[in-house]
Amino acid sequence: MPIVLILLVFLPLAAAALIGLRAPARATSLGTAIVMVFLVAALNHYFDRESPSMQFASSLTVMENPGIALAFGIDGMSLVMLLLSVLVLFAALWMIDPLADNARLQYAGSLLIAGGAIGAFASTDLFFFFAFHELALIPTFLLIGMCGRGSNARSAAWRITLYLGLGSLILLVGLLALHHALGQPGFSITELHARAMADPIAPETQSWIALLLIIGFGSLVSLVPLHSWAAPAYAAAPTPVAMLHAGVLKKFGLYGLLRVAVPMLPEGMREWAGLLLVLLLLNIIYMGLVTIACKRLDTMFGCSSVMHMGYLFLAVAALSLTGPDNTLAYRGAILLMFAHGVSIALLFALADRIESRTGTLEIARLSGLGRAMPSLGFLFGIAAFASIGLPGLANFAGELLVFLSGFHGFRPSEGLQPLQWATILAVWGVVISAVYMLRAYRTAFMGDPDASRRHDVLTTEEKLPLAALAGALVVVGFFPNLLLQYLPF
Amino acid sequence: MVQLPWLLLLLPLATAALIHFALGGSGRLAAWTGTASAFGMLGLSVSLLVGATAEASPFVWLETGMFHPDLEQAITLSLKTDRLALSMMLVVTIVGALVHLFSLTYMAEDKARPRYYAGLSLFLFSMTGIVLAGNLFMMFIFWELVGLSSYLLIGHWFTKKSAAEASKKAFLTNRIGDFGFLVGILLIWGAFGTVDFNALERRVDLGNLPLTGGLLTAGILCLFAGAVGKSAQFPLHVWLPDAMEGPTPVSALIHAATMVAAGVYMLVRISFLIALDPTAAMTIAWIGGGTALLAALLATQQDDIKRVLAYSTLSQLGYMVMAVGLLASQAAYFHLFTHAFFKALLFLGAGAVIYCCHHEQNIWKMGGLAKRMPLTFATFAIGTACLIAVPYVTSGFYSKEAILDSAYAASRPLFWIAAFVALLTAFYMTRLVVVAFLGKARSQYARDAVEAPTPMAFALTCLTLLSIVGGFRFFAEAILPRGFYPTFDSPHHNFVMAVSIICLLAGVVASFLLYRGREKDPLHITPLRRGLYIDDLYTGLIRLFQDGAAAVAAAFDRHILNGFFLGGTAALTQAVGSVFRRMQPGSLHFYLVLAALGIMLLIWATSTV
Amino acid sequence: MTLEHYLIAAGILFCTGLFGMIVRRNILVIFMCLELILASATLTLVAFSRFRLTSGLPDIDAQMLVFFVITVAAAEVAVGLAIIVSLYRSTQSVHMEDLHTLKG
Repeated sequence: MPIVLILLVFLPLAAAALIGLRAPARATSLGTAIVMVFLVAALNHYFDRESPSMQFASSLTVMENPGIALAFGIDGMSLVMLLLSVLVLFAALWMIDPLADNARLQYAGSLLIAGGAIGAFASTDLFFFFAFHELALIPTFLLIGMCGRGSNARSAAWRITLYLGLGSLILLVGLLALHHALGQPGFSITELHARAMADPIAPETQSWIALLLIIGFGSLVSLVPLHSWAAPAYAAAPTPVAMLHAGVLKKFGLYGLLRVAVPMLPEGMREWAGLLLVLLLLNIIYMGLVTIACKRLDTMFGCSSVMHMGYLFLAVAALSLTGPDNTLAYRGAILLMFAHGVSIALLFALADRIESRTGTLEIARLSGLGRAMPSLGFLFGIAAFASIGLPGLANFAGELLVFLSGFHGFRPSEGLQPLQWATILAVWGVVISAVYMLRAYRTAFMGDPDASRRHDVLTTEEKLPLAALAGALVVVGFFPNLLLQYLPF
Repeated sequence: MVQLPWLLLLLPLATAALIHFALGGSGRLAAWTGTASAFGMLGLSVSLLVGATAEASPFVWLETGMFHPDLEQAITLSLKTDRLALSMMLVVTIVGALVHLFSLTYMAEDKARPRYYAGLSLFLFSMTGIVLAGNLFMMFIFWELVGLSSYLLIGHWFTKKSAAEASKKAFLTNRIGDFGFLVGILLIWGAFGTVDFNALERRVDLGNLPLTGGLLTAGILCLFAGAVGKSAQFPLHVWLPDAMEGPTPVSALIHAATMVAAGVYMLVRISFLIALDPTAAMTIAWIGGGTALLAALLATQQDDIKRVLAYSTLSQLGYMVMAVGLLASQAAYFHLFTHAFFKALLFLGAGAVIYCCHHEQNIWKMGGLAKRMPLTFATFAIGTACLIAVPYVTSGFYSKEAILDSAYAASRPLFWIAAFVALLTAFYMTRLVVVAFLGKARSQYARDAVEAPTPMAFALTCLTLLSIVGGFRFFAEAILPRGFYPTFDSPHHNFVMAVSIICLLAGVVASFLLYRGREKDPLHITPLRRGLYIDDLYTGLIRLFQDGAAAVAAAFDRHILNGFFLGGTAALTQAVGSVFRRMQPGSLHFYLVLAALGIMLLIWATSTV
Repeated sequence: MTLEHYLIAAGILFCTGLFGMIVRRNILVIFMCLELILASATLTLVAFSRFRLTSGLPDIDAQMLVFFVITVAAAEVAVGLAIIVSLYRSTQSVHMEDLHTLKG
């Protein structure tokens, strides 16, 4: 069965290469995406929920000393991320306009981004875990620079390149230091983990490695104050890239924190948890306020995605402070990563459709879209309410679990600890996000439509990817156990 | 075997989905489907109340993965089908079904009927969820969902600016309350390890409380914040009058009879917790009493028929909340029960008037409607009698007496506030009836008005009957949980009743004398008309703190973070780079000279060693 | 004739080459000057080989190196001249100042 997983990683890369060799772009890429959906379905089907170890494992030694191997394998957490990746990839590819000048580039680039992300999520080798993510970043930078929208696409591309490049560099140093400190010859994550359990690293060493990892992974996930790249980059990025990066690739940093930093550096992470609490509150409250002040839909979504990362960091902080038996934090984080990925991808896709109809994304210039295009209003409503955290849509389940994780192990006799205070303040974020989402919804969708514009209703073909994402939000919102059943803890 | 409570919960959801996805093109079909489903729910809840098996196995919504024995392993949707829930269900479904019936005529001209009926069904689904919720998580889930359906229905005519603003305001104000509610749930969950009502009650009965002192007060008040938002208590009451922008049947169902009562229902559910902490209980009582007084004062100066009723709803909800705070949750719930019928009646009556006057809502442009719409007038007058608690023959009398009784026993200041509110209620309702229905017609619409059509009249008649019998012992005791019907056997009962009758008479007589035959309002108290400037204050606060803070944060992000730090780093790098660039002029000869100099330097350095 | 004479001659040769490279603008002349520098290095090698006897015989390694240098220099001249010719063809100039296409 390992072949399924290997296929899943290399299929998009091969398809991208084929498109580079002048294969018909749309057919090839959508065909690939559909095959990948089936591959993930097969993984789901054959996944053994009882087994705690990595499944579908395969390994090909690349280098003996230090032992680097092209090793794949998944557990429940990676499986959920793979599900997210193929879902968003499918929608993102569908969103590309095949008649655009650079359509071929966008198809190939999107496939490369998704392939890199899937490779990173499926890698069980620390080296390739990092390398696949870098592989996905390069087309992200290039596509923003070459196919970007707006006047400052170039500068946005430079900014994201510098930020994420430097962040990755710090991350690489941290990962190498971690590997060195563990004194393990190989790079296998499972072996490193076992080693860290059996023979923990000295607390002082853990402390500075954890700091490096927090900065490195944090800048990839736009932890304030390392967030300045996010909003301009998403506003400038072509739609599929914004969907794939905000929806999927950005989750790599959190995935890394949960997979590497938290289990291997418990002492170090606990030491920095206080700092993390402050920063995540900045993410939620400060970035929330910045989002309220946004005047364009795309920047608003970009800022809001930075803001929502705060909840995920809250899960990380809760895990660091209360230890690995806080399964709520794990589950909440994974569920929320999935939910946020789908909802932000849907929001960017909708912004793309709005721009194609009205020619603008400035909120003040939009009006009455709900009357002119009812189904667009309905889908936007689902996406907006999902990101507000309305029950019945996926984000709520994740956020609720994350908030609960903040109160795990709460001892009333000792009063409210910093973690609980941070959780309470983080809950205020649900009010803030409601404010900006509903304001935008009110201005853009309510009121009378602008009579001077032609508003063609969405065609069925346009609705399909949007409905797929919206459907995923509803299904997971009603039955979050569908995803959680794969998690061992 | 289908479990009836689940069927009751899921039927409206299925209806909403069916209407939205399949019947979007046909308003008539959507209307009939929605109405049939609402009557089906009524049948189900009656059969549950008269003894059909109400057992329902819980649905595991989300597994937490916890191994700890003291903690819940999963977040479940468990249905609690005790008498309290079933009687509330009866109220919800009766009003819901009649409102559907009423809407058949009221909304017949509307182009977006499928959206309207889908919204109503979604609301019934959410409300059923709140009522049947067996734990706080489930209650919170549906709490948010009623917020959504209320948002959708207030904003039904969303192309109208005021409706769009009102729906947004309602949702956001509720969100602030929900913030508190969620924090309260987190505190309770963190301390008790469970939020199941049965389990919590067992823990409280055992007397081993993990949460004490200030945290307990905070926890209860946080939960209460949810009720403050949903039941529109001061200081979050501002959304309810604006919510009257929605269609009138919606106001009757959601913003008078059921959803706004959900806050009180929740407080009754957790009354065993409130009883633990006197500080929290007194706070709740005073907020309730204060809201009752504030809203009654504001109601005296409203010109819009629906806004008068909205403020009166606020005021009655204040009564209920006050009673919960005075640990008389039975009286509160009894008042909720009777109030639902007569307030729905009043709203539907107002709806009939508005419908027949071509959507004119200003009472000063009505007048003389009693002659043209005798049935509507009769039902409206009976509803008014219930609201102002005419002794013995109206349901409102019994429930209000129960609240006044308990207020007298528990807190004298609150009793006198409540009595004064009763006087004000009599005053503003008499004003409403006198101005709108008696005297001469003051506009063309009012002169042309005709009696409400049959479905409307039928709904009004049904509610009138329920408004009268709702307070009678034989009827109420058959439905309410045991011990909820008041006994009226306290020693001071006669005194309380005398006070309330005096208040009633004073209010009615004063209002009648003041308003009979008037062409325009003789009183003009601007602060009361402007809602004591609370709305303006909030607008200012929002502009100052939220928008101001947002602008400051955005400016900080743009200028300090991006401009100073990022721009500064970039400028520094460029400055250093420009120094080094001078050494690379691109001239081969220059490089050669440098190389020659370098060689000489090397020779010199090695030769001196 | 001692070793110093040879070295001084080689030094003069090197300095002439370097000076020519610095002051001349014609790429052909610069190339010839480069050859002068190479020649001075070859001369030094030969001189050292002649005067640094090991067990009465000249050091053969250096002489072998000289042949290498001559061979490589011949190849280098061929390649270098070819580049100069094709440069001239494309730019119609053999002046250093005119060759700035790659300058940033």
